[in-house]
Amino acid sequence: MDNSICQAYEDEIQALKEEIRLLTDKYEDIQQESTFFSDEEILKSIKLFQRETKGYESPSDLKAQLETLERDLSFLMKLTGFHFTSHSKKTLEKTRNRTVQKHRLSGKCHSLSFQLEFQLLETQNKEKVSTVVTDLSIIMDSREDSDVSKFVSSTEEHGDLVTFFRSLSAYAEWYEHRRRTFLHFK
Amino acid sequence: DFRAFPGVLAHLEMLEARARREAVQQEEKEKWEEKLAFLKARAQELRLLRDELRDKVEQQEKVQLGKEGILSDPSPRAVLEWKIRSLQNLLQVFHLTGISGKLSNRSACFSIHTAYEGFSLDSFHLELLLRPGLRIQRHSIPAFIPLEQISRKLLHSDLRSFLDLLSRHLNAFVGRRHQLELLQEHFSDWIQGTPQRNSLCNLLSFQYHIPGKSRSFPFQARLLYGDPCRSLPTEVTVSCSPDAPAPLAEAASAHSELLRNTALHRAFHSLKSME
Repeated sequence: MDNSICQAYEDEIQALKEEIRLLTDKYEDIQQESTFFSDEEILKSIKLFQRETKGYESPSDLKAQLETLERDLSFLMKLTGFHFTSHSKKTLEKTRNRTVQKHRLSGKCHSLSFQLEFQLLETQNKEKVSTVVTDLSIIMDSREDSDVSKFVSSTEEHGDLVTFFRSLSAYAEWYEHRRRTFLHFK
Repeated sequence: DFRAFPGVLAHLEMLEARARREAVQQEEKEKWEEKLAFLKARAQELRLLRDELRDKVEQQEKVQLGKEGILSDPSPRAVLEWKIRSLQNLLQVFHLTGISGKLSNRSACFSIHTAYEGFSLDSFHLELLLRPGLRIQRHSIPAFIPLEQISRKLLHSDLRSFLDLLSRHLNAFVGRRHQLELLQEHFSDWIQGTPQRNSLCNLLSFQYHIPGKSRSFPFQARLLYGDPCRSLPTEVTVSCSPDAPAPLAEAASAHSELLRNTALHRAFHSLKSME
């Protein structure tokens, strides 16, 4: 009755469960990241889904979740003034407590458009998730403008998304105000 | 009459005990064999599942290199789940810009996520009631941040500016605290004693010396961050004891200049590389 044999199987079972979890995540990530559905396709699917689930499970769950998310996003966009027009993310690396993703983001703040690319490192330490932004590259049409290039260069160097977006918002508002003033005097 | 045969009784008890023991051992053996068989089968089951998934992922990677999309003829449910995940990803992006929020009929909940140079730090939360008038119901903003002052000025007139100003205060506070933590972590052999700071981390005082150089004349640094929304100090004094040699006194004023213009931990990295 050797306990070490049982222990060896138990260890293998744990390792396999972990590997299965990572493979499943990887499969789902690749599925998610390499697909795209247009808004019409989404609307069509909502109708089909409602028809399909009529009388069975409450059809509202997925639809309700979708509506809540859209409402929260639209609320944040209105509040912050940031309108993201496209976003893609690719998982480069994923282990038990470490994920590396590459993000591409484009959007507008008032009339100023921007394009960002960055890497995001996520680490899990006990209950806490920490993130680090690296390799941030920022493209803006108005980058040659000395005011813009100041805040873009420094925030780009340090991966400082928070300060970039705050500066962008302040500058965009000022720019918009100036634009309207000029129009007023035309 | 068993009194005449004490040995027999004892012998019978011994046989009984042995039988009990053997029964227990047999039961344990059977339990163990059952457990082992179960574990073996479970491991085998998981191994098969793992191999299946490995093949699936390999297939997927092959297909991905060729065509545009993988989900050929997806079910409406799959499409909706894809959209839900896309929206969640977009909310994650907002989180990285420093804010999360959820709106309901009665309230709006905000989280301000602070960061210093790309490193995520603390998150602070606010719950606002919308009716009958906009007001703060609950929050986790520390007492030394002038929340009341800021909300009196901006909450009812300009929600965006209110959150923006609050975020500036919080990010600056967290940034100053983080710089001090980095300093203590990377330059523990330079620092003498324990740095003194206030809760808001805008008043800092500590003693340091350059390793290898004179320990008996430490520098005394005092930093005042007069602007609560900035993570660079407005006033820096670096001094050393009056009987310290002249070059040290000169170094003190150079250090003072450096600390006024550079983040704390980075200033010390510069000092280190100059040695």
